[in-house]
Amino acid sequence: MTTRYACVLVREFPLQTLLRMRSELQSRPVAVLQGEPPFEQVCSLNMTARTLGIEPEMTKLEMEMFPTAVVLSRSLKEEAAAHAALLECAGSFSPRVEDQSNDSCFCCVIDIAGTEKLFGSPDALGESLLKQTRALGVRASIAISSNFHAAICLARGHSGAGIRLVPSGMESAALASLSLDVIDLSLEQAETFSLWGITTLGELGNLQETELIARIGQACKELRLLARGESPHLFTPIEPFFLLEERMDLDSPVELLDSLLFIVGVMLDQIIVRAQSRIVALASITIHLDLEGGISHSRTVRPALPNTDRKLWLKLIHLDLQAHPPQAAIQALSVRAQPGSTSKVQLGLFSPQVPEPMRLDVTLARIRAIVGENCAGQAVLKDAHRQDSFRIEPFVVPASATMQQTGGQRLAVRMMRPPETVMVTVRDRQPKSFVFREKRYTVERAYGPWSSAGDWWKPGLWSLEQWDLVARGHDHSWLCCCLTRDLMLEQWQIEALYD
Amino acid sequence: MTDEYIELHAASAFSFLEGASLPEDLIQRAATLNMPAMALLDRNGVYGSARFHTLAHKYGVRAHVGAEIAVSSLGNRLMPPAWLPHQHTPEPARIPLLCASRAGYQNLCQMITRFKMRETTKCEGAATFEDLENFSGGLICLTGGEEGPLASALVRGGESEAIEVTEKLVRLFGPKNVYVELQRHGEREEEWRNQAAIRIAQRLGLPVVATNGVRYANAYDREILDVFTSIRHHTDLEHAGRLLTVNQQRYLRNAQEMKDRFSDLPLAIANTAALSQRLEFELNDLGYEFPRYPVPQGDTMDSFLRKRSAEGVLKRYGSKQNHGLLEKAQKQVERELALIEKLGFAGYFLIVWDLVDYCKRNDILVQGRGSAANSAVCYALEITAVDPIGMELLFERFLSESRGEWPDIDLDLPSGDKREQAIQYIYQRYGELGAAITANVITYRGKSAAREVGKAMSFDPETLSRLSSLVSQWEWKGKTDTLENSFLHAGFDVEHAHIHKFLELCMRIQDLPRHLGQHSGGMVICQGQLDRVVPLERSSMPGRTVVQWDKEDCADLGIIKVDLLGLGMMSVIQDSLVLVAQHYGEPVDLAQLPQDPVVYETLQRADTVGMFQVESRAQMASLPRNHPEIFYDLVVQVAIIRPGPIVGKMMHPYMRRRQKKEAVTYPHPSLIPVLKRTLGVPLFQEQLLRMAMTVADFSGSEAEELRRAVGMRRSWQRMEQLEVKLRSGMTKNGLDAATQDNIIQNITSFALYGFPESHAASFALIAYASAYFKVRYLAAFTCAILNNQPMGFYMPAVLVKDAQRHGLRIHPIDVQVSQWPCTIEHESNGERSMRMGLMYAKGLRQDIGEAIISSRSQSGLFHSAEDLTRRVPLLQRKELTLLARIGALNSLNGIHHRRDAVWQVEEAVRPVGPLLKQQRGHQVSSPLRQMSTEERLSADYSGTGLTVGRHPLHYRRLELQAMKVLTSSELRNYKHGEYVRAAGCVIARQRPGTAKGFIFLSMEDETGIANVIITPDLYERERVVVSRSKFVLVEGALQNQDGVIHVKAARIKPLAFHNLEVRSHDFH
Repeated sequence: MTTRYACVLVREFPLQTLLRMRSELQSRPVAVLQGEPPFEQVCSLNMTARTLGIEPEMTKLEMEMFPTAVVLSRSLKEEAAAHAALLECAGSFSPRVEDQSNDSCFCCVIDIAGTEKLFGSPDALGESLLKQTRALGVRASIAISSNFHAAICLARGHSGAGIRLVPSGMESAALASLSLDVIDLSLEQAETFSLWGITTLGELGNLQETELIARIGQACKELRLLARGESPHLFTPIEPFFLLEERMDLDSPVELLDSLLFIVGVMLDQIIVRAQSRIVALASITIHLDLEGGISHSRTVRPALPNTDRKLWLKLIHLDLQAHPPQAAIQALSVRAQPGSTSKVQLGLFSPQVPEPMRLDVTLARIRAIVGENCAGQAVLKDAHRQDSFRIEPFVVPASATMQQTGGQRLAVRMMRPPETVMVTVRDRQPKSFVFREKRYTVERAYGPWSSAGDWWKPGLWSLEQWDLVARGHDHSWLCCCLTRDLMLEQWQIEALYD
Repeated sequence: MTDEYIELHAASAFSFLEGASLPEDLIQRAATLNMPAMALLDRNGVYGSARFHTLAHKYGVRAHVGAEIAVSSLGNRLMPPAWLPHQHTPEPARIPLLCASRAGYQNLCQMITRFKMRETTKCEGAATFEDLENFSGGLICLTGGEEGPLASALVRGGESEAIEVTEKLVRLFGPKNVYVELQRHGEREEEWRNQAAIRIAQRLGLPVVATNGVRYANAYDREILDVFTSIRHHTDLEHAGRLLTVNQQRYLRNAQEMKDRFSDLPLAIANTAALSQRLEFELNDLGYEFPRYPVPQGDTMDSFLRKRSAEGVLKRYGSKQNHGLLEKAQKQVERELALIEKLGFAGYFLIVWDLVDYCKRNDILVQGRGSAANSAVCYALEITAVDPIGMELLFERFLSESRGEWPDIDLDLPSGDKREQAIQYIYQRYGELGAAITANVITYRGKSAAREVGKAMSFDPETLSRLSSLVSQWEWKGKTDTLENSFLHAGFDVEHAHIHKFLELCMRIQDLPRHLGQHSGGMVICQGQLDRVVPLERSSMPGRTVVQWDKEDCADLGIIKVDLLGLGMMSVIQDSLVLVAQHYGEPVDLAQLPQDPVVYETLQRADTVGMFQVESRAQMASLPRNHPEIFYDLVVQVAIIRPGPIVGKMMHPYMRRRQKKEAVTYPHPSLIPVLKRTLGVPLFQEQLLRMAMTVADFSGSEAEELRRAVGMRRSWQRMEQLEVKLRSGMTKNGLDAATQDNIIQNITSFALYGFPESHAASFALIAYASAYFKVRYLAAFTCAILNNQPMGFYMPAVLVKDAQRHGLRIHPIDVQVSQWPCTIEHESNGERSMRMGLMYAKGLRQDIGEAIISSRSQSGLFHSAEDLTRRVPLLQRKELTLLARIGALNSLNGIHHRRDAVWQVEEAVRPVGPLLKQQRGHQVSSPLRQMSTEERLSADYSGTGLTVGRHPLHYRRLELQAMKVLTSSELRNYKHGEYVRAAGCVIARQRPGTAKGFIFLSMEDETGIANVIITPDLYERERVVVSRSKFVLVEGALQNQDGVIHVKAARIKPLAFHNLEVRSHDFH
């Protein structure tokens, strides 16, 4: 059986994707911007826009010079949907489809050998393919050849939409007039060929192999074969999307967690069997619950190491749902798992003994269930001046246990978390008295203000003044505290108490 | 106890990236706060103190001098504790030192010089205890703030270690000269250290003093300091963390604020005034002495100078067989010498004479320029080449008794090695501590500000490079040429808060110092004593040292300097002299160049590409009108096309009179002798002086004072006084009011911009020499100018094309023939031609070029590409393909065209095994097709920057003719006002400051150069085409007046052309 490949190529894919659903814009100059505001740049545009003078990489501001042009934002979600639809379309002609797309261009090659009885001659198949891609709202170039790479080159070199069919054995001739741009050359190779005056595939293909190798090495052998339409290819068909997901609509709403866990256990069994058949473990599990009243509830559990221990997963899910219970009865649920590597962590022979990861996960999950998701871990100070700026990081085993303890007496400070807002009377820009926990205090001694301010280059700028106060209550009790004035909010707070 | 507070510890932006305000801003704020004195202590130097002093003097504030000195022996400065995350790197602690007396200042300068010069490269450096011991006299030491040794000792080892450190300082500086410093910036840890410092001061019986450790003038400038900190640590604001300041309290505080802060320690405030009283030294008491020149025993410097001058006068004027002139010269020299002796300047003249003598002995071409050319002594000593007696130049413009300023002698030397040789002679003659180059303060400008602030604000490099490429650098700044507009053109939304802040910071850091560079040639000389006047430090260039002040600072403080300026044209003339002697067999004496009518005819035609000073577009546009016929016309020509005369509206009256379109009139008959040479229009500074001397009986020095008073825009008061005197003098001489007004108007409008006649004459000499060589010895001149690039107004491609149009045959680079520089060859018909040198192969390293030449001279010509590769193993593939691409291998055996050569070298650099070789057999020629004309041109321009073949436009002429596009030579045949179309390759773009936003393009085709005028409106519409396109097509009305041709463009569009890497010379 002779080999046959059909290549489907969609240029300006970000633009074509958006125009699919906006047919009214087809005839207007349209440019697509990508990037974070305010640095968006043109990434794709149609011919009408080019004629107007718009160029790729123009900024949003530069685009304002073209008031007639329509400016759209790139949508990766819509591109993903269009991409999937095109692959599905290709898959309807043959189960063997290889994806060769890049950031700005959709490209797939279909192995159509032996499909004549189903779809007719390659010509007819091409027509049908073109018709279907048009139905999807995109303009594609289609090339059919006995050689995989030749099909791609022909599609790339074929300006505009339509079909290019090359009879078997005629690849070299068909490719000869195409520019070298249709093959992926390295910068160095492109420079060399430009220096040699080689601009077309025909010129490259006509060079003697040994002469070429003597000059630019073995890599050029492949290029020459590509140019002649003789390069072999190991077809790597895309696999159907591997999704570890189970969904179940319940006959009657479930309210009890135990009943729910019973169902989750059954679904987990299925997922674990499927994962194990692919020699992967489960890295995380997301449970999505459809609740009564049209609301939904999602939770994700992610242990330290990917595993397939059903009991452990059930425990972790149980603890998580206990901490974050659904607010209504459950009507349907889906369980989706992310596959992860099953590899184990290699511990050093002399590393300190650490808790067994699975048990630690359970313990941490228990703690998180009590204190909150982002409140378990170790607090790490940030390199910043802002008071109390720290972040929570997961627990790690320290590389070396060299905790330095400096001796001497230290003052104990009780930080108030959160700080308590107080009413303060100020005289001569100094606090004189305040009410704290329903008791009035008169300031006897005030040290400060200690001032700090920062992050002036961004919206979150802050500015604080602090006083260390010795104050006496009306009942003659003493209070030593740290009082903070937020200059941005004009707010006074007791930040800490000194013992 | 007084109520005053004196800030004694302030750092300016001259603490490079550790201070955020200019010294001028600090002193201005001090004056606003009524602070009677203030001290500037920059990091390891007195970089900002000269300008601090100058402005302080103006505001009536006493400027104390000092520095923060890094001392490696005192351990590292304070850092956050190890348990706190931070990115601080260890740096030595710094002690603030204040100069109490001149001896103290001299010690400080010597100490800084000592540790800076100990380093082998340009770097911060640090002093040691030994340095402090040697140079502690006259200095007062504070214990410092957070950067000081006390703070770090307290944290490191508690009070005991802090006491130890303080005692060390007391031992070094004496108990009366150490003050315990207290600063209060609202930081807890600082107050803890203050309390400890107070206890230590009490225990050791030392006084305390309050300072604010100032780093900026106003609190708001803390932002700039934070940006600088990020730049200094190569990070951005987001990640700088604790490197940034914790608050904005290090600004210059008023006395009340400081008293409130130190209400518990009033003595600390009072001590600032007391200490200020002790600081007697100010920079006007520098103690700078004039350099001495070593003279033989029995001679004084004055007698020695007298002898050398007498010899010189005889040599210069004796040969002219004009007894009257000789006598006049002797009288003038005598008059000058008397003044030199009186002012004590003999040493300076002898030092310059000695240098000139050294240059002559070592075949280094040298010529004095500037006002020195007014001096007959300088002429006699052969420092200058213009005869001031013959040209009736005015000595007072150079030196006058009342001027209170040292004379300034500038020397032009060939740029490059020869100039460096002269500089090194000075170092060797006066010692490492006796001479140094003046500094050049590099400041933040549009591009650098945007780039560095952008980095600090975390903008990505791509965006920043886009912005930098768009920041306008044209000389003329139009309304639209703002930094804000550059941001808009780069695609930034300035309304966005983050970008708005970025723009604001860019503007705020404009003109703040970035680092210290070296001046192009200003040398300060002081016999072995310079390091007592100003600290010296290493320059980034090996073998050079720089002083910490720039040339304005040196001039303000009366430090004498000699400018050794590198002039490309001097190198060209020097090389031309050698080449003419070698290839024409006609030795030329530069001092006796004949006045050649053919040279003047060439100048009249404005055929001046490559000639010194007369080659620019503006010069070319005026040459046909001015029609120079004698040397003095050239002096005027050089002087007239300058911003000064153009702005002063002197250019057109002179030109109209020159063309006899306007009658020659004089403001007063008595001024005829003064203004006759310039047709009644004052053009030179000397004429201003003479006018005042003639009409108002001013003395020479009074006239010079008048010139300077007019020149300095701010000295209105002095100008008014002089005007009264001028009017009374004129009244006395019988001039009526209208004439007086006219003369005063003439003086004031022009004095700001007038050019010294002596300087113009010196330049005109070089201009004439360059014109003479070009006209008479084209091959030698072209060869020399191409070997001394970059220089002048035009790129080498233009110089080559111009030489070809003048009949010079130019051969391409050839590995079989070419030397590293361009050379002269002799054709079989006896004519001289030129061969391009290997130096023009872009990317070919000189050592490889030399290896090719050496192999060729040792073992003969190369047989093939393989032979070349084998014999010059240094040659890599990249260089070989470059040579092949530009046709430099075309004369090797078996190579028929450039691609043949490429094919062969590609094989030669990858030798294959015998098996493959056998299998392939021997291929006779390459399968590659020959390069098309377009490809060949592209290879020429990208590989050499020029083509010796036909001009690119030649190949498009038929097509252009069909489009009715005229050549530049055809334009001459069209009448003024006719609508024409022309095209060419843009060789120069200019937007002169005087042209109100007009842009001038020079474009070249195969027949010559055409000039195009772009209006500001057209520029706004076609900004990209005007500033970027390499080939353009313009349409518009022809301006053909007095033989000067311009096309006033109504439309301009890019001419679709090959992908040629043609470069234009754009003037910013």
